[in-house]
Amino acid sequence: MKKWLALLFLAALTLLVFPKTTITLWHAMSGQNLKALEDIVKAFNETHPDIEVVPVFTGSYAETLTKAIAAYRNNTHPHIVQVYEVGLQTMLDSGAIVPVYELAEPDFDWGDVVVPILNYYSVDGKLYSMPFNSSTAMLYYNKDIFQKAGLDPNKPPTTFDEVFEYGKKIVQSGAAPGGIAFGWPAWVFEQMHALHAQFYANNENGRKAKATEVYFNREFGVKVFSEWIKWAQNGVLVYGGREYNANNAFIAGQVAMLIQSTSSLGSIEAKANFKVGTTFLPRIPGYPRGNSVIGGATLWVMKGKPKEDYKAVWEFLKFVARLDVSQKWHKSTGYFPTSNSALKGLLDEGWFSEHPNYLTAFLQILSGINRPESQGVRLGNFVAIRDVVDSAFEKALQYKGPDIEKTAKAILDEAAKQCNQILKDYVSLYGK
Amino acid sequence: MHAQSRFPNKLLPYILLSPSIVVIAVFFIIPTVKSIYQSFFRVSPFGDRRIFVGFDNFVRLFNSPAYVQSLLRTLIFATAVVLIGLSFCMIVAVLLNQRIRGMSVFRTFFIWTYAISPAIAGTIWALMFNPATGPVVYLVKLLSGKSINWMNDGRLALAIVIVAAVWKMLGYNVIFYLAGLQAIPTELLEAASIDGANGIKRFFRVTFPLLSPTTFFLLIMNMLYAFFEVFGLIDIMTKGGPGNATEVLVYKLYKDGFISIDIGFASAQSVVLFVFVTVLTILQFRYTQQKVFYG
Repeated sequence: MKKWLALLFLAALTLLVFPKTTITLWHAMSGQNLKALEDIVKAFNETHPDIEVVPVFTGSYAETLTKAIAAYRNNTHPHIVQVYEVGLQTMLDSGAIVPVYELAEPDFDWGDVVVPILNYYSVDGKLYSMPFNSSTAMLYYNKDIFQKAGLDPNKPPTTFDEVFEYGKKIVQSGAAPGGIAFGWPAWVFEQMHALHAQFYANNENGRKAKATEVYFNREFGVKVFSEWIKWAQNGVLVYGGREYNANNAFIAGQVAMLIQSTSSLGSIEAKANFKVGTTFLPRIPGYPRGNSVIGGATLWVMKGKPKEDYKAVWEFLKFVARLDVSQKWHKSTGYFPTSNSALKGLLDEGWFSEHPNYLTAFLQILSGINRPESQGVRLGNFVAIRDVVDSAFEKALQYKGPDIEKTAKAILDEAAKQCNQILKDYVSLYGK
Repeated sequence: MHAQSRFPNKLLPYILLSPSIVVIAVFFIIPTVKSIYQSFFRVSPFGDRRIFVGFDNFVRLFNSPAYVQSLLRTLIFATAVVLIGLSFCMIVAVLLNQRIRGMSVFRTFFIWTYAISPAIAGTIWALMFNPATGPVVYLVKLLSGKSINWMNDGRLALAIVIVAAVWKMLGYNVIFYLAGLQAIPTELLEAASIDGANGIKRFFRVTFPLLSPTTFFLLIMNMLYAFFEVFGLIDIMTKGGPGNATEVLVYKLYKDGFISIDIGFASAQSVVLFVFVTVLTILQFRYTQQKVFYG
């Protein structure tokens, strides 16, 4: 009994001597990715007795950003918030953040960050948020359905025309009710612009100065939308929701192909009872070559917490960037490992030869041509713009008539008008 | 008649009223005033910058085709929910007012829907009409050979949301109609029978007029429901889609205010919505109340 009391006393003493710093982290990871994130946090808390990171799931990306903003206005915001790439401009202008390059120790090797990620999130060569879960889009396909439809399961489509042709074959042969579905349609539309070296907005996609006009209603955007309407009219393209709902249709064998973030790879491979193939995004021949663009999210540090907390915050961010943590994160989710050394380690241990699907996105992004058009779009109030484009996509898919190109142009013009107003309002608040 | 006591203390009534006054002030008056104030500004998402724009938010509202469309959609939606809801529920209530064995079980089934939260109701309807796996979609395909997909058919989506909204209010409306029906004196119906009125005539000449206070009350409650409370159902089922097809005013307000974080513009919308519903309610009180027969 006495022994226990002594122990208890000691334990109480250590608590007094080492007061725990509590760090809150708001995130949008669900399903398989939630578990992977919780594992990271658990490993961190176990190895850092003086810090406790508390992860809080705050809904979708858009909801997480919105909640963080609302919380900041009431001074109840978290230390760290996971914000998707869409929130980049908003966060940069917010005046509510501590840039991570200021937080980092001077000897931290930023050069190790994978180049496309570094490019996306850097402003004047400096990183404002900590790379965490970066992804890009790729084409998933169901090899079993391909076989059933009489297609070569090792020859996925590489062009828009092939997607259409294969899709029709799949639908007509009854191998699957639908050909292809998209996750995040507006994002896929952005990807198509980057992939074909087309600007999505002026001022070099808003990277030279704030964007004031979108370009997606120009010839290329209209072409892409027209193709998609044609696919939909032939039953090839099936609407799959705005985020991850399309995954279910793909896993259930309702569609044979899926354009989705690489971050779904982990859960799709775990749930699918068929052979999953992955390949590069399909292209439209005749346009210059660009690159697929980074998506996913980074960790932003918010202002206004006690000074001592920020040391703990940096400890956590450093931990997240650690080689082994980053590798494990990649393996369980499909998100990119953020550093070149982590990537090399994975290559050396033979991970990619055993799991070729995890290599696809890398090859795609590393084999593309990096040019200003494919660095990623930076827009003010991008969340609202995404919503407008998603609605435009949904409207386009409902069109059943013969004037496909005219309709595509009209829908995109209307959407562009709304987006330009959003951009104008944003510039009126924050200046150019 | 003079026995009614008066409060000798002038202050006491106000003290007794103060809790409700506080509640009204905190949850109604202060937010309303704040909305009106904010509707004259354009505010940055983080609230650190604001520009006074006068009536610009309102001008823009009525110049925006998206808003005008949403307004029309809301009117269609609200009219459908109220008309279909009230007439259907009245029929159900009359049926439930019969004397049949096991009636309490049937009644419970019909009233049940009101106890379900909007989130669950929305999920149930969304699952039933899921284009890939929904049982209703499957049945329709079996019966008609057509595959329906509300995710790329805006009109169908609106229709389904209307049906779901009516279904959600079923319990509420039926309870009130049942209470109304049971308050009708049986002598009146018997007298009508003796005078030779058949069932239908009895319903339209006696029951229907005597139910009018209930109908009037439900008319207002259902209208408020269709304007404001359907938010949860729509958020779960369609998120305003496909392509804005189910984006009613209150959902648009939410999207502009809480997704786009355009507080000024959203405040302007809430002011318009507030005025709109107030005017509608006053009009209803004016013109409908004359026809209401309080017995």
